[in-house]
Amino acid sequence: MRLLSILFCLMLAVSIVSIPHNDAVAFSDQQITRGAYGDDVIELQSRLQYLGFYTSKIDGKFGYNTYWALRNFQEKYGLPVDGIAGTKTKKALAGHSDYDEKWVKAQLKAGNQFTYYGGKPLDQQVKKNNTGGGGGATASGNNSGSSNKSGTDTQIPPKYTERELQLLANAVYGEARGEPYEGQVAVAAVILNRLESPEFPNTISGIIFQPLAFTAVADGQIWLEPNQRAKEAVIDAMNGWDPSENALYYFNPKTATSKWIWSRPQIKQIGEHIFCS
Amino acid sequence: MRTLLVILTVAVIGLGAYSINLHSDKESLQRTVHAQYTEKLTDASEKLSYLQRAVSQSLLFKDEQAIHSELDSIWRLSSEVRSSISNIPIGQELSNEWLGYLGKLGEEARKTAKTGDYEAWREKMPQISTNLQSLSDEWTTATVDYYKQDGNMDVWLRQVDNKNPNTSFDNVKNTLKDYGEKDFPLTLSESDWQKKIELKALQDSVITEKEALEKVKYLFPLIKDATFTVTKSSDTAPYPFYHIQFHQGIRLGYVDLTEKGGHLLSYLVERPVGEAKLSQEQITKKAEEHLQRLGMKDVAFVESRENHLAWHVTFARVNPSDKALIYADGVQLKIAKDTGELLGANAMEYIQEETIKPQTAKPIDWKTFFDEDVQVEEVKNIYTDNGQFEQRLCYEVIAVRNGKTQETFRVVIDAENHNVLKVEYLT
Repeated sequence: MRLLSILFCLMLAVSIVSIPHNDAVAFSDQQITRGAYGDDVIELQSRLQYLGFYTSKIDGKFGYNTYWALRNFQEKYGLPVDGIAGTKTKKALAGHSDYDEKWVKAQLKAGNQFTYYGGKPLDQQVKKNNTGGGGGATASGNNSGSSNKSGTDTQIPPKYTERELQLLANAVYGEARGEPYEGQVAVAAVILNRLESPEFPNTISGIIFQPLAFTAVADGQIWLEPNQRAKEAVIDAMNGWDPSENALYYFNPKTATSKWIWSRPQIKQIGEHIFCS
Repeated sequence: MRTLLVILTVAVIGLGAYSINLHSDKESLQRTVHAQYTEKLTDASEKLSYLQRAVSQSLLFKDEQAIHSELDSIWRLSSEVRSSISNIPIGQELSNEWLGYLGKLGEEARKTAKTGDYEAWREKMPQISTNLQSLSDEWTTATVDYYKQDGNMDVWLRQVDNKNPNTSFDNVKNTLKDYGEKDFPLTLSESDWQKKIELKALQDSVITEKEALEKVKYLFPLIKDATFTVTKSSDTAPYPFYHIQFHQGIRLGYVDLTEKGGHLLSYLVERPVGEAKLSQEQITKKAEEHLQRLGMKDVAFVESRENHLAWHVTFARVNPSDKALIYADGVQLKIAKDTGELLGANAMEYIQEETIKPQTAKPIDWKTFFDEDVQVEEVKNIYTDNGQFEQRLCYEVIAVRNGKTQETFRVVIDAENHNVLKVEYLT
């Protein structure tokens, strides 16, 4: 009898442990909405996709696609429709869906294209990344297909693309990696100021690769892998910071050979660079 | 001895072969680049003549359809010549002059097609057509040498050498500068905009360096004990300001304050950021507290974006008369995710403060304005630039297109004349 009781207790313990952890505890206790980013958003998107509400990429960015999917879920499950993932919503979501965090994160890390729809074997929802980059068709045939190799893991104003962020970071790192942070933001801001000026090409890549415009392009340093600091500097510039105070040019007075650049009205000096209009 | 001689001979032959191979690779690469530059140069020169003809042809017609076709060509050709010119190494100054001139011509054509003000076009264009012809001739003379060489890059390089005092492009450069000012003088709106970004409206009295530092310590109490280095902007800067760099422990950054009145232009600090501890709601609250400290009490929340170290939160001034948001008077804050510390503030636009002219909002029937599968989710009244440096009262619409997948758009529509000013795809 005692042995039976022990066996029963063991079975009970095993069955409790084996119940999927699909309650609100899975999320952090933070309330999230549009603009948020990170692990909570990855989980939110995965769970919404599991239930068929979210059909876009699982990328950890709470944008409009996530917002509408969440609202549709809230409406269907009789919750207040506000597009905010608060305690009630997260609890309801966790109660109706499953989330295999390890699997989802492994796909994101590997840069695989994948979806996370419920009721479909996971191995049929992934297309392995063999090229080191994203793009192409999705595994499941749905319109979505997540991969964090298709861009960077950052959020930028909608008027810019992730490719532009990458290119700008390369330019900042190649041109100003030894400069103070402020100087790096200023270099990014100069390129963005040129975008607004009628006297320059009207794309970021056109500006950066304009013949003879940037030393880093001429000497190949633009192809060095930018660090996180250069990327941060670009994000700040894209969000409006301009330590150059509207400059269109900059030069290093120790190395500049052009007479013309010295004739430009100067604004300020940051580190080794003089910024001018 | 003999063996050594053989080894030496083989080494010399090998090195020679390698050097010839390297030289031929370099030459081949130079020829490829040269060919591409020549192609762009030819393209620019040919299209420049087409552009001149299109301007001339646009003066032939009174018929609206016929004139529109020419205006379209002018807009397209000016854009194509711009693209070709921006891809050839002719030096920054000349390139700027060309792009500026062609851009203004294209914009004029686009504007005329939109407004239908053909009288103004007919008045302005005969002179511009003549000027374009003379520019085209000068350009042909300046570039003739480029076709005489045998794929040799030296001519290119000599022309764009910064130390070379005279280049064949000097005439084109000077003519362009002259025509640019005469053919496309600044409009009233452009001139107002120029004054605005140069902070000409600031009438406050000049503050001293000491007062500027006091202000920084008041606005940002966290760095009040920092080591400061204050420099003044260059004499040629469009507006004078204090550039204040600081260092305090792990914090390194700068503040720019205007000399007139000590208004905050921007603030940015770099420091290591720890694990995120604050919720989105707490971050927004912190941002509002920071705004109070900075004295910006007439703004409302617009949007926020989280990244791995910080949140960027945007606010815009609220127009007191109709409560619409003035996006041009925006202020951006950067808030640390670990403690909610203010890592940055950008008030450059906020201090420019737009003058808003009274405007009326005419209602729009969204059902007839948008396609059937488009649903309007949000409508907000805002003020924004109409591309001609005028602040217009607009409807900012968040619309969802229910196709195979849901797609979200931000559409900005002039509230008075219902022109669509901006469409943005949101993800």
